Amino acid sequence: MVNSNADALGIIFPNTYDTLVPELVSERLMASIPFAGRYRMVDFILSSMVNSGIGNISLVVRKNYHSLMDHLGSGREWDLTRKNGGLNIVPPFAQKNIKVYTGRVEALASVLTFLKSQKEKYVVMSDTNIAVNFDFKAFMDAHISSGADVTVAYSQSDVPASARKREDINSDMYYTLDIKDGRVVNLDINSKAAGPQNFSMNIYIMDRELLISQINTAYLHGHSFFERDILSPQLDKLNVQAYRYDGYLARICDLKSYFDENMKLLDEENLDALFSGDSIYTKIRDDNPTRYIGEAKVKNVVCADGCVIEGEAENCILFRGVKIGKGAKVKNCVLMQDTVVAEGANLEYIISDKNVTFTAGKELKGSDSFPVYVAKHQTV
Amino acid sequence: MAKEMIAMLLAGGQGSRLYALTQKLAKPAVPFGGKYRIIDFPLSNCVNSGIDTVGILTQYQPLVLNEYIGNGQPWDLDRLHGGVHVLPPYQQASGSDWYKGTANAIYQNISFIERYNPQYVIILSGDQICKQDYSDFLRFHKEKGAEFSVAVMEVPWDEASRFGLMVADENDKITEFQEKPKEPKSNLASMGIYIFNWDILKKYLIEDEADPNSENDFGNNIIPNLLRDGRNMYAYHFSGYWKDVGTISSLWEANMEVLDPEHSGINLFDENWKIYSRNSGMTGHRISGDAVVENCMITDGCRISGTVKHSILFAGVTVETGAQVEDAVIMGGTTIKAGAVVKHCIVAENVVIGENAEVGAMPTEGEKGVATVGSGVYVGDNAKIGPNAMVNSNVKGGEEQW
Repeated sequence: MVNSNADALGIIFPNTYDTLVPELVSERLMASIPFAGRYRMVDFILSSMVNSGIGNISLVVRKNYHSLMDHLGSGREWDLTRKNGGLNIVPPFAQKNIKVYTGRVEALASVLTFLKSQKEKYVVMSDTNIAVNFDFKAFMDAHISSGADVTVAYSQSDVPASARKREDINSDMYYTLDIKDGRVVNLDINSKAAGPQNFSMNIYIMDRELLISQINTAYLHGHSFFERDILSPQLDKLNVQAYRYDGYLARICDLKSYFDENMKLLDEENLDALFSGDSIYTKIRDDNPTRYIGEAKVKNVVCADGCVIEGEAENCILFRGVKIGKGAKVKNCVLMQDTVVAEGANLEYIISDKNVTFTAGKELKGSDSFPVYVAKHQTV
Repeated sequence: MAKEMIAMLLAGGQGSRLYALTQKLAKPAVPFGGKYRIIDFPLSNCVNSGIDTVGILTQYQPLVLNEYIGNGQPWDLDRLHGGVHVLPPYQQASGSDWYKGTANAIYQNISFIERYNPQYVIILSGDQICKQDYSDFLRFHKEKGAEFSVAVMEVPWDEASRFGLMVADENDKITEFQEKPKEPKSNLASMGIYIFNWDILKKYLIEDEADPNSENDFGNNIIPNLLRDGRNMYAYHFSGYWKDVGTISSLWEANMEVLDPEHSGINLFDENWKIYSRNSGMTGHRISGDAVVENCMITDGCRISGTVKHSILFAGVTVETGAQVEDAVIMGGTTIKAGAVVKHCIVAENVVIGENAEVGAMPTEGEKGVATVGSGVYVGDNAKIGPNAMVNSNVKGGEEQW
């Protein structure tokens, strides 16, 4: 057979880090958080996998996954409507696990039978809290040529201050790596260190057989977390290689970083860095082009299709179908799909979720350090 | 399962009057309105009217059109039974037959239509911008007990002689057909959209094919023959937006009308009658700090740093700092470099307009031309393209074309 596909299957964990952004996930999960004007967080990793030739991708969801199912549909937009492989959404299996799982070990244990029946040699795994145009092909090549058991991708980044305050070590932990000659020698959980760290992206590749045997053992021992309970105690036995990623990435750690990472894309350099590689695919909405009418004034804006702008917008990310009425002023805002800003309203430092309406003349201001969040379907 | 009505879409027009735009492109594939192509309109009308089987008859430069239609998924026309089918003229044992005329094109595909065993066939044209509910047209056809109906528009009497005219009585029954007459007896212009009872259409197509003197054309042969035989023929009045975009100036005008839906009547922002298209998949457009954007439509993937006024920008257009775009239609992937001035014109896909170049000019008393730059053309720095120019090959820096 012609070898057009990568010899790896993908597993995505759409619920990881939900607890970091409780506002945004009240009716959804991390993977379906809208980002960058017309995307959802999952689009980035999903498209990256597809663009790297991975055509067999499972999403192991835990809860609040209606919006994700709606977004992904049959996976056609990502070219994942396949007879062999394609997109596979795995909901929790209620009868078997009374308690919905918390960590990757339990999540993976629930798909063990599936994993055993697949043919691909490798498994790549990822969360969805990072928007990145990631080259899984290069990642895979590095893994193969190093002869590692496991390879993990990391970036040199600061751990955000808010994350460093976290005490909880039983859910949504973050990991930093101590690396010696390319090998991970220590895996720090919720490190408090300031300054640039080897911040794990939680993107892994390993042999499918190895993954199956590790999960089997860990599950029998009642372990929950892949990093804490499998990798960390076995760093002397398993050759875990670190793969440094130097490209552009946007990591969502809390509401503030969600706001900042959106805003960063107003800088053309960042926008290009995230999007100039292979395409990032998303659900098609068949919106008309965006219309600027009459007194519309826009400065430094990234705007998706389907908007109607009659007022002023400056330093904004406008998602599909946003309407800004006459005389309205919107500054430093992230307005998600179908937000309506009625005539004369005045907004600064606002994050509005889907279908929010700001009534005429309303004034609402947050600040750079505390952008105000308005929940889905609210009328202000 | 038999279909009540299927559509046959005539998309073989050469579009020779769109010259620079149709060099490598069939006319129905010409881009329109920011993210559409002309053919999106009849296809979306079909789906929105409940028609799920469409045959597209292609002939000239079908490559882009074929690729664009693909499996019909963007229009929800990827169906197990029916869906969209591109029907080029094909080789037969006796040799291949180019479609000789509109009627011949349908004749050659009788076997396609028979597969669906429809009661009615609607014949559509692939070069019009129009939002129309074909199911209402069919309701009319059935109510009248017609064997043939044609959609007509009232046109001003002084322009009537430019059209094919239907003369009808008070019950909308057609009594006479006049093709571009000097002395019009009616102002009901045919829109080139017909509903036939399939048995009638088939009978007349076969007869017409047997006639060696026929031009195998609906307007010139089939309709006169139906009249001759006293068939039940009715005129269906349509009063919505309809525009034949067969010329550069009408194409430009229709695009400009999209910018003003409140007055022109062509509303692309209609949630209840969406126009579907194959999407570019580009990221949102970006408007930089020093850009000026007034009264325009901008599509995903655009990067705007210059001034854009009263224009339509398709997906992925770049307007660099200091460039000016006004009253212009700029198709996908085109770059307008710093300081260039682009006015009152149509610039096709993937064109580069060099720094400080000038394309077109705002209309004056005696000069109302719409400059046109064909797809893939490179217009060099400081070049000048006059308002009546049709540019189809690269223009060197500093050169002038009128």
